[in-house]
Order: sequence, then structure tokens, then C-alpha cells
Amino acid sequence: MNRVNKWIAEILLVALALVFLSPIYIMLVNSFKDRSELYNNALALPTSFSFTYYAQALEKMNFLTAFGNSLYVTIVSVVIVVVLASMTAWMLVRTNNRLSQVIFMVFVATMLIPFQTLMMPLMQTMGWIRTNLGIPMLNTHEGLIFMNVGFHASLAVFLYHGFMKSIPIALEEAATLDGCSKFGVFWRIVFPMLKTITITIAILDVIAMWNDYLLPSLTLSDKGLRTIPLSTFYFFGEFTIVWNLAMAGLTLTIIPVVIFYFTAQKHIIKGIAEGAVK
Amino acid sequence: MNKWKNKAWFVLFTVPLLLVFTTVVIIPFIIGIVYSFIKWDGIAANAKQFVGFSNYVQVFQDDRFMHSAWITIQFTLMALVLVNVAGLGLSLLVTSKLKSSNLARTLFFMPNLIGGLILGYIWKFIFTDAFKYIGENVGAENIFFNWLLNPQYALYAIVVVFAWQMAGYTMIIYIAGLQGIPDDLMEAAQVDGAGPWHRLTKIVFPLLMPSFTICLFLTLSGAFKIFDVNLSLTGGGPVNSTEMFAMNIFNEIFGYSRYGIGQAKAIIFFVVVAAITLVQVYITKKREVQM
Amino acid sequence: MKRAIRIASILTTAALMTASLAACGGSGDGGGSGSGEGKLAKISLFQSKVEIAGPLEALAKKYTEETGNEVDVWGSAGDNYISQLQAKLNAGEGPTIFSVQPGAEAQKYASYYVDLSNEDYVKNIAPGLSTEIDGKTVGVPIGVEGFGLVYNKDLVRPDEVTDLESFTSVLQKFKGEGKNGISLSQEAYFLIGHIINTPFSVQDDPKGFVEKVNSGEVKMADTPAFQEFARFMETIRENSVNPLEVTYDSQMGDLAAGKSAMVHQGNWSYGMLSEFGDLNVSMMPLPLGGNDKLAVDLPAMWVINNKATEAQIEAAHAFIDWVFNSETGKNAIVNEFKFIPSMTNIEAPNLDPLSQAVFEATQSGKTIPWALNYFPQGIIINDLAPITQEFFLDGSITGEQYLQKLDEAWAKAPK
Repeated sequence: MNRVNKWIAEILLVALALVFLSPIYIMLVNSFKDRSELYNNALALPTSFSFTYYAQALEKMNFLTAFGNSLYVTIVSVVIVVVLASMTAWMLVRTNNRLSQVIFMVFVATMLIPFQTLMMPLMQTMGWIRTNLGIPMLNTHEGLIFMNVGFHASLAVFLYHGFMKSIPIALEEAATLDGCSKFGVFWRIVFPMLKTITITIAILDVIAMWNDYLLPSLTLSDKGLRTIPLSTFYFFGEFTIVWNLAMAGLTLTIIPVVIFYFTAQKHIIKGIAEGAVK
Repeated sequence: MNKWKNKAWFVLFTVPLLLVFTTVVIIPFIIGIVYSFIKWDGIAANAKQFVGFSNYVQVFQDDRFMHSAWITIQFTLMALVLVNVAGLGLSLLVTSKLKSSNLARTLFFMPNLIGGLILGYIWKFIFTDAFKYIGENVGAENIFFNWLLNPQYALYAIVVVFAWQMAGYTMIIYIAGLQGIPDDLMEAAQVDGAGPWHRLTKIVFPLLMPSFTICLFLTLSGAFKIFDVNLSLTGGGPVNSTEMFAMNIFNEIFGYSRYGIGQAKAIIFFVVVAAITLVQVYITKKREVQM
Repeated sequence: MKRAIRIASILTTAALMTASLAACGGSGDGGGSGSGEGKLAKISLFQSKVEIAGPLEALAKKYTEETGNEVDVWGSAGDNYISQLQAKLNAGEGPTIFSVQPGAEAQKYASYYVDLSNEDYVKNIAPGLSTEIDGKTVGVPIGVEGFGLVYNKDLVRPDEVTDLESFTSVLQKFKGEGKNGISLSQEAYFLIGHIINTPFSVQDDPKGFVEKVNSGEVKMADTPAFQEFARFMETIRENSVNPLEVTYDSQMGDLAAGKSAMVHQGNWSYGMLSEFGDLNVSMMPLPLGGNDKLAVDLPAMWVINNKATEAQIEAAHAFIDWVFNSETGKNAIVNEFKFIPSMTNIEAPNLDPLSQAVFEATQSGKTIPWALNYFPQGIIINDLAPITQEFFLDGSITGEQYLQKLDEAWAKAPK
């Protein structure tokens, strides 16, 4: 590829990316406007860049508490999903029998159930567990984590299952001969090689859980337990939205995930570099 | 002895997740199936009445649901193509050796970071204000008008928003797949004189089969279940032209308060969709190449 | 790598441990074993008006300061309230106090109510505003609301708009000036839900009339008030901006900017209007058949959940009593929530212009009720709105055909 072509390609790529981001532009500019400015022109740049709406949003959302809650719920859920799903998927791939196939298909099939149809029975089940087993599944972060793991299990198993095949089975066999237990084989040999897909799953799950509104809104009631998306409810009336605060709140919500994604995706690239050495 | 041990390992590795999964997904789903045979308004303290298959019979007489299912299928097919062409295209772009590709892959992924209802509200500004503005000032008014007022274009609008969001999502899965392809394989092909297109179709695509399986499936399931964007962008309108399946069920359960019928709809649609997608997974899985 | 594994496994175990430890913690929000002497059980309050969520939390805080008792205010986004409430009640984790709309919705949740008939605070409910089910008072109205034609006083006068004819000529006059005479907006309630209330409510027995329409005994297409309503809709379609292009936000903006002379809205809209600056607005009735009354009724009432513990129910009574009888509570209702009071013991000294118009209508008895509270569940969003969208998009549908379509949908809707 010659120099000029390369530059054209670079410019086109960046231009495409910017068009892609137009909705984000709308989010940003409207976080600085009051209602009449928004009414006059929703697309224009704001007349002033004052961060008052951000300050208001931070305060109303009780941001620090909500941030801590979101962080706890998301991290613990994602770690558990990754650990349990990778183990399960490995077993399902390496044990090639009818049972494994059925279990895998059940995981896959359940991804097609719309959440709206599960929510009522789910709440009843959780209520039943609380009354009869004494485990408070509702209105606790741990209960939400439990449900997060359940709902994100399918996707993670599905993804691990798909990528597990690219791992040479010979390595595992060698390790087994060396006297490693299955546990050792998995954690020492297999899991490290799943790094790229693990990070991919972590990214997808972190984002999904961080942004989730519906499930936390059903399970968490107390004010002190609210995650970040839950705390933005103040800005969403039945018929209208307090646009500036909602947009400011949204921007504040996604900044941590942007940072996380930016760091995580570097590891994906590093992962390949390492893979190439091997 | 060994066989017994293997079984023990199998149990140890899979049971924790299966336990959680069963409590959270399987049991509620089964309860949901039971509810599809019951007449109930969804309020715990109110009467429940067993009605056999009557809910199912009613669903099949519900023209609006049939229409909704048909729209959902149209939507899914359009979304499937657009999302995966875009996602694959983007992944090839950002794994090329361009300097800006690193930045670009973050930018392309950004849409995913905005979740839920608000995404639809933001896009509403684009389809109403921005499109009107472009139409009036730049021309091309047969493309740039308020899409949300036209039954057909309102559906396209949802496709666009969905594709915009999902393209970045599938992109990162395609990236993960592309990076699993050993460089030496590509270099060898290049040395053998294979052109870019040839390398793409003969080496990259076959090796990307697992990614295709996954992305096609994820797009399918995401499209069939679409709710948030549907609600916030068009609200099912105009004139019910974009009331998709999940929204139809939601309106049945929380609008009309007919819980049993809502569940029956869910079960029917689940069976149909599951049949289609499992066939899809089965077919693409068969084409995957073992390393 | 080994380290990472160890961290991962520790985290997992920790999580499981916390879960199981919490499990031993016992019965959650518990039967109100309030720690202090004479302190009441902690209760929760869940209500649908997002706009008052902030002030309500502040009020709960003041309540704790004044009495030492605690109230946790739950929250939900506006269109999420009913599904959340339903899910939580089903799980047996319902709030102690929650809000419902009088009418069909109140009936649906009737099995959850504590009988309030003998409580002191219900004695102050203004005449005609208490909700009774099976002869028992079950809810406390938190305020009244009213809707009609909100108009810009600089552009139009109530005596210019007194019937269909004058309404039409005013719309035509504004159309000639390049302005919008009346604006509806695309949200289901603002497009049709509220405006269709008038032909129902001008009937002698609005609730009974809804029931007759439900049972198919009466057709809207055969009823004079509805025939006139259809002509109103036709003239709106002919002489004003397509409501589907208008959102609640832009509707308010247009009114504030003087681009619209009238909008069909309620007194709640003043909150948004005032964000556009000082305005000269008021409210007049929709002159359907010469109607000179505003539609005024209760948007919501608070009820106590009978599935709560004895101690919580007791605490709930105490809290409601405090809200409606203490100076702090009464002050918050009028000045923070900006509600038009529904209690005779609460005065409303400085209401905004729209609420003032509604308040005066209540004082002079010039009100009609909200028959829409008795409509079949979900019909406004699921049926009436799509048909009305079609009516506005397709100019060839006559008012008569429009009414027929409404009748058909009504016949099919689940009751």
C-alpha cells in the first residue's frame, strides 16, 4: 500500500468513527443546556460549558455510594461468571457425550427467553427462597450478584464453548500424564490460554451489568443499595426527561466503563503478542 | 475407577454454575410455562384459574400478535445482515495495520456503553431534529425526513439503531476470532501469492466459523428479544407498525393485565425461535474447523 | 498467573461466604423491632410521581429528625412503576405504603389495602375525593390535578373559545397567522387519553357510562357528545400541526415561545413551562358541547399494604397522619410537591396560575371527573393511541370512521 492511500484510509477510518459517534455528541452537548436552549436547537453546541448540571447530577444520584454499589456488584458478578462458566464450558467441550450436549443446548436456548417473561416467576422464586430457606435474595447486593451470575452464565458458557476448540488438546493430555489433576490442568494450562476470550467476556459482562436497569430495579429497593443506573431514575418522569441531568448522569455512568474498556482491550492485543511467541 | 473419577470432576466443575442457573433461569421459566395455562391478572393475592389451552387458543386468534411476530421476523432478518456485515467489516478495518485502528476500535465500541431506554431517546433527536435539519438544508428530502412517522421507515429506524449498537459488540467477538488466526498462516499464504480476497475467503472465513456461529446467534437472540429501543424510540408506533414481540407481551401482561396470555405468547414464540436458532447453531457449528 | 487464580478463588469464596452470612442474618426488613424506646418500625414508601421523589425524600428525612422514626422512599423511573410494584408485591417484598390510581387500577390491587375508615386523617379528605371499596375508605389522596386547554393569555381569551364553532374559527385565525391554534402531543395520554375524557365525563353518570361502553350497551359512534368530539378531532387535524410531530417538551416550548396559542394539558405542566421563563398562561375548559368545566380528579392515592407487619402498619398510619396534619408535612405538599391540596385542613395560598385555575374550578364546583380512570386497563396506550395516530396520519379517515374504530377496539379490549 502506498503512502497516500494509507493516509486516505486513515482519514476515512477516523471519519467513519466520528459519524458513528453522533449520538454520543447529542448526549454530550445536551448535558450542558437548559430546557429552553435544548428546545431551540437540540443539535447545536451549547452556549456555555458550565458543569453545574454535572454537579447537580452527582449530588442527586448520590454518586459515590451508587458508584461503590455498582463496582461491588459488577466486579464480584463478573469474576464469578468467568470462573464458573469457563470451568463448565471446558467440561462440556471435553466430555463429549449426550448429557454435555443437552446441557449446552439448554444454556443456548435460554438465551432466547425475553427477560420480561421471566421477571414475575423469578421474583416469586426469590421470594419463596427467602421465606422458606431464610436466604435474603431480594433487596441485597449478594442476591443481585447471584441472579447476575445466573443470567449471564449462558452467554459466557456459549462464548467459552466456541473458543475452547482452538486450544490444542495435546497440551492437556501431556499435563495429565505429568500427574496434574483436572483442576490443575484447567487452571494452569487451559485457562491462561483462554485469555483473549476471557477478557472479551469480561468486557461484555461488565458493560451489561454496569448498565443494567431492569433486574436491579426489581431486586433492590432500599435507597442505600442503588446502583448507578437506578440512581438516575429521578431524571425520568413518566412523560418527560430532565434532559441535562439525565445526559450528565449518563455521561458520568459511562466514563468508568470507557476507561475499563480502553485498558482491557489493550490486554487483548497484548494477548495476541504473547500467543505469537508461544 | 477412572470413569467414576471423571464423573466426579464433571460434577465438581459444572454443578456450581448449573445450580445458580437453574434457580435463576430454569425454575422461573418452568413456572412461566405453568402460568401459560392459567388465567390470572398478575397480582399475587388475586384469583388464579386453570384454563387448559384456552390461553394458547386466544393467542392464535390475536391478529395483533401475529402481526407483531411477523414484524419481529422482518426486523430480525434485516438486523442480522446489517449487524454482521458491519461488525465483520469494522473488525477487519481495526485489525488492519492502520495507525488509528486502536482509537477506532474504542470509538466503534462506544455505542454499547450506552444502555437501555436512553439510547432510544437520544436517537429520537437524530431521526426527528437532525434528519429534518439535513433534509431542509442539504436536500435529499426523500431520505432525510422524520422516519418515526412512517410505519415502514420507523421499523428501519429501529434496525439502524440496533445495528449501530450491535455492530461494535459483534466487532469485538470477530476481533477475538481474527486474533486467533496465526500470523504465519497468513504470511505463508501471502508468500504463495494469494491475493487479499483469496486470503479472506479461503483462510480467514473458515477459521472465523466459531465467531460467525456466536455472532449470528447473539444477533438473532438480541433482535428477537429487543425491547428497550423499541419502547423508547417508537413506542410500537406509528399505528402499531413497530410493536415487536417482547413489547407485545409486555403490553399484554402489564397493560391488559392478562398474565396467562402473555406467558402463552412467550412460550409459543420461544419454541419457534429456539427451533430456528438451534438449527442455525447446529449448521454453523458443523462447519467449524478444529485446530 | 497463579496469583490471579488465587485472587479469583478468594473473591469467589468471599462472595459465597457473604451471601451465606447474610443468609444467617435473619428475616430482612424484619417485624420492626425498632431499636429505641417507643420508636416505630421502619417503613417503606413507593409512589409513582418521579417529580416529587426528591422532595419526598427530604420530607422523610425531616420526619426522622422530628420523630425519630424512619421511612425509606423507594424510587422508579416513571414508566417503570407499575411493573416494579407488581413484581415486588408478588415476591412478598412489597412496600408498606404505595400509590395507585383511583378507579380500575385501585380495584386491581384491592386485595392489598388496609381499611383506613377509622383513621383520623381520612376525616379531612375533601368531599367527593375519598375512594371507597366495599364501603371502606382505602386510600388517602395526595393532591388533585386538573386538565383542560392551557392557553397563552396574550394570544387568546376564554370567551373566544366557547363551542366547536368558535374553537374552529380561532384555530383558523391562528393558522392564517402562521401559528398553531392548538397543540396535542405524541404521548398516549396527551394525544388521546385526556382529551377523550371530556365526552365521557359530560355524561350524567360518567362511571356508569364507561361501564355501558365496556359492555357494548352503548356505542360511542351513536352518542352525540362523541360525535361532537370527533368533529373537534377533525378540526384539530385540519387546522393545527400534526401532534405526532410534537413531543411534550416541544409542546411546552411552542406554547412558551408564543408559537402555539393553546395546548390540551394539565396543571402539572407548569413545572416544565416555568423552565422557559415567566409566562402569562391559564387554563380553560375544552368547550365540547359548550362544556365550561375543567376535568379535575385524583391522579393517585396512597394505600397501606396489608401484607406488612402489624408494627409497620401502625408506623404507616403515624407517618401519613404526620404528612397531612403536621405543619412540616402540609407545607411540603403545597410548596415542595406543588400539589393542589385534597384535604380541607390544608390551605393553598400561593398556587401557580394553572393550579390556581384548577383550584378555583373546584371551589366553584365547575369540574367534571376523570372518567378515564375507569377505562379498561391498558386501553389508552394499547388501543386508543394507535387508532388516533392512524387518524392523524391518514387524512381520509372521517370522524365517524374514527369513532367506529374506537368502538371496535373497545369491544375487543379485555375488561
